[in-house]
Amino acid sequence: MGMRVSLTMISDGGTYVSDTKIEGKSSGGSGRKRVRDRTRAPFIFLCLLPAFLFLIIFMYYPIEETFRIATTKSSGMGPEEYVGFDNYVKLFGNAEFLASLLHVIQWAFWSVLIQLPIAFLIAFSLTYYANRFTGPLRSIYYLSNVLPSAITAMLGRFIFTPQNGIISNFARAVGWKWLASVDWLGNPELAFWSVFAVATWAYTGFPIIYLMARIEQIPSEVREAAELDGATGWRYAWSIVLPDLKYPLQILAVLATVGSLKLFDLPYILTAGGPGDATKTLAIVLYLQGFVNWNYGTAAAVGVVIFILSLGFTIAQFSLGREKGEGKK
Amino acid sequence: MSQAENAAIVKRGSKAIRIRHGGSEIFATSVLVFLAAVVIFPLIMPFMFVFKTQLEFSYHPWAWPKAIMWDNFINSWNAVRIDQGLKNTFLVSIGAIIATLPPSALAGYIFARYKSKVTEFAFYAIMVGFFVPAQMVLIPLYKMEVGWKLNDTLYGLFLPMAAFGIPFWSLIYRSFFANLPNELSEAARIDGAGHGGTFFRIMLPLANPATILALILVFIGAWSDYLLSLILLASQKNFTMQLRVASYLTAYGADRMPKYASAAVISAAPTVILYIIGHRWIIKGTLAGAVKE
Repeated sequence: MGMRVSLTMISDGGTYVSDTKIEGKSSGGSGRKRVRDRTRAPFIFLCLLPAFLFLIIFMYYPIEETFRIATTKSSGMGPEEYVGFDNYVKLFGNAEFLASLLHVIQWAFWSVLIQLPIAFLIAFSLTYYANRFTGPLRSIYYLSNVLPSAITAMLGRFIFTPQNGIISNFARAVGWKWLASVDWLGNPELAFWSVFAVATWAYTGFPIIYLMARIEQIPSEVREAAELDGATGWRYAWSIVLPDLKYPLQILAVLATVGSLKLFDLPYILTAGGPGDATKTLAIVLYLQGFVNWNYGTAAAVGVVIFILSLGFTIAQFSLGREKGEGKK
Repeated sequence: MSQAENAAIVKRGSKAIRIRHGGSEIFATSVLVFLAAVVIFPLIMPFMFVFKTQLEFSYHPWAWPKAIMWDNFINSWNAVRIDQGLKNTFLVSIGAIIATLPPSALAGYIFARYKSKVTEFAFYAIMVGFFVPAQMVLIPLYKMEVGWKLNDTLYGLFLPMAAFGIPFWSLIYRSFFANLPNELSEAARIDGAGHGGTFFRIMLPLANPATILALILVFIGAWSDYLLSLILLASQKNFTMQLRVASYLTAYGADRMPKYASAAVISAAPTVILYIIGHRWIIKGTLAGAVKE
């Protein structure tokens, strides 16, 4: 959840930046007639110091280290050996890594194709038929987003465990033997989809509340005009609301993509990336290489791959945002 | 639900002219209510099983429990040591708040109010943090903490959490401070307040909405963390709630369903209770972070 929240926030960082730039012109003038202010520079320094201490120690230095370790062969103990780009070359011949890269891409693809349309339909219906249920329903949909992923995984296991799980138990009670014996998390063909189903349950809440907030900003006159013209609900959703949500939907798509690059908790707790490589993600491979096999070099190289890919997508998103922002103002 | 909730609904109802849709509205609302039931279902289901013995469960999983018995709860509470887990998670969350908010507020204030080439550069340097996923730096972070003997301590957990939160929160504080009127700080300066006095006595209290937002969301983020705790904590006594839940899950599996279900209920309860109390704030805060108001 921590990751998810901070991600969503990054998404609109662009708007904040452009926002404050306009303000900046007026506040920048405040220093104009100050003759000599000996306390100003020390004050700025002291205020920025704590933030920079944190970032230097826990971010800048580790980033530099990640790039460096990625060019070495090291196991945490004993000397490091410089190997150049060897780790990267080996990664792209490594079946486990390639499988995880594929899963991450699939995960992003299906998140956009399945979770976003569901979220749009729910968000649209909730705002279109605004009634006494709207507020409570929105709160309920978002509830699963707030649950820590360990607990989400626990509930997922509760549903999908063979023999004892809810599905198996229910199927046995109804007499569907074929369904009762399905091993949702242990079957390599099914495991990905079972984890994905749990994620859909858990994470669709955010796109719902985000889209709802955007739809609620559409002036009510627009809808009244559409209804006067005889537009049905479907037509209103398709021709007026959906085009208006183009930018938020783009943001959500990028968030889903960057989120799947970082995906760790759910597949790791539910299936530990198994069976075989069936549910491995980039972050799981990084963890297994680094903290189970103690191949620091390989793990750091995976970290660099995650970084470059998410940087690429984030930049793409920021430039999308700029395009739209200029169009509007 | 709560009174505030009701008030909000009444307000919503009176705000716009209600358009009645008859059949389609009833149908859509039923579907939406059904979907909400799907969301709650996995949280409610465990209650069917928690009061049963293993034997009772294997023969009559769907029947009403014969007697209300708390043994499963007591067993799983002791197996997971929920008390210890709650204490650790709470300390980590509080630590994350204390370590994240002051640096972010100070930096955000500078970025908004002391514009110059230098602070502009500092701003972009901090924004670099946005592009760095925590996943990337796990290896050096771990090595470094081992070197400083910070690993397997709660400090070692919430300090990096704060580092990863500071870029976002200084951005939020920056936009709050930038939107405050100039006259206030200028009046304070004329009254003889120094830079620090202006910040602490005038500006910071005005940024309370940002502070409340940060309090809630940093707390929830730290509360839910799994990956950093998994890598940085080693000994059982330091395990956070989420680590305990996950290790219980791998150790016992769902084979002993009543016990498992009661562990699920106990571990989900704090978050669900927190959400029931604060759901309006949480949603509002999340959206304020994502949607420009």
